[in-house]
Formats: sequence, C-alpha cells, structure tokens
Amino acid sequence: MSLVLISHSRLLGEGLRDMVSQVAGPEVQVAVAAGTEDGRLGTSAPLIVGAIRTALAGGPAGAADGVLVLLDLGSAALSLEIALEDLTQLERSRVRVSEAPLVEGAVLAAVQASLGATLEATYEAAADAATMSKLPRA
Amino acid sequence: MPEIHLLVIDPTGLHARPAAKFVQLASRFASRIVIRHADREADAKSLSGVLGLTLRPSTEITVSAEGPDALAALEALKEELTPYVTPLIPESVQLVKGELPA
Repeated sequence: MSLVLISHSRLLGEGLRDMVSQVAGPEVQVAVAAGTEDGRLGTSAPLIVGAIRTALAGGPAGAADGVLVLLDLGSAALSLEIALEDLTQLERSRVRVSEAPLVEGAVLAAVQASLGATLEATYEAAADAATMSKLPRA
Repeated sequence: MPEIHLLVIDPTGLHARPAAKFVQLASRFASRIVIRHADREADAKSLSGVLGLTLRPSTEITVSAEGPDALAALEALKEELTPYVTPLIPESVQLVKGELPA
C-alpha cells in the first residue's frame, strides 16, 4: 500500500509527507504531487500522474498492491480527474481516491497501511478521519 | 479478562506518534484489545479510535485484552508505552485480577 498526497502547496505536501512518515514509520511509501510545475500554488495533472505511477511502482519491497490518493481542496479534484484518465485500466484498478480531510486522513491511512492492510481497509481507516474527535473532552 | 491500569505521564498526552506505535504493536496480536478512559473505549488496533479518546496528561487508562495472547499483548504494550505512561497499580496485583487464558 502506498499513498499519494495532492495539495495546492508544495510546502504543505512535503511537510505532510514528513509528518506521516514520522508517525507511521518509513516503510509506507508516500508520493507527493503538490504545487505546480513552476512552484506556484496549484495542482498539476501531469505531476499527479507521475506521483501515482511512482506510488504504484512501490519501493524496494516491490510494486504496491494499491494506492490511496488524498487531496486538499477545490481544483485538486479536477486535476486528479484528468490525471486518472491518463492511467491505464490496470493502473486505475489499483487506485482509490479518499474523501477524507487531507492531514488526518493521511495519518490514519499511513498507519493502517503500515499494518500491512489492504487498499479497502486503508480507505476505510482514512474515512474515519471525518468523524474522529480532535479536542480533548472535559 | 486481564487488564492493566496506566496513568498518562507524557506532558502532551498520548499524542499521534505514541498512539500510532501503540496501534501498530496491538495489531500484531490476535487478542481483542480495548483501551478505556472514563466511560469511553476504543479498539486498540484503530488509530482513529485511540486518537479519538484524546488522552490528556494525567488521565488514567485501562488496557484490557481478550484472546490467546492476551498477557503477552499487555506486557508488550506496557513496555512500548513506558516513556508515556506509568503503571497505576503494582503489576503483581493487576495480573492477579486478570484471568489466565484457557
């Protein structure tokens, strides 16, 4: 299981990858497509395709069984849509897109993936981010 | 069901990194492991569950395990959490309270 993080901001994407790796451990592969090719705020379909293919290729342990994609806001979804059309059917069948909030979803998904979970289980773990309580209760 | 009672001593509570390590370790055991605080409980193998307990410093938690490797799981989890928690009751007393697996 690998993750792809899509953000409008390169700093946000790289920072989140750093955080996710520290929490979940280095064995979960995380690819980032954040910012535009020329470093501005925005998203880029070609960068997303590249990140998904990197994630699919996996790490030293071999190709990833699946790739969970998480994204931030607005037009990230449009760029992703274009990127997904570029994938082959076989590639597309190993990719799932999460609705989860980016930061919380990425952390939950990465920890689930670190347990050797399937794409489905990782998707479900990320989905929990939407209802997870954040502030301590009295 | 064997259980251990722990006090969260880390000044930032049980935050993301130790919680993730806790979940990763708990997932290696077959037993059902539950972490409880006050009237709330979470599956110790779910990070959203454990983080959702939002454990502050100085809160008391109970970790219980049920299954073939329950005692080994509790021992391993206690060890893993050592920098963040401290046992509330001497261990010898705690284990007497728990039942040995069949």
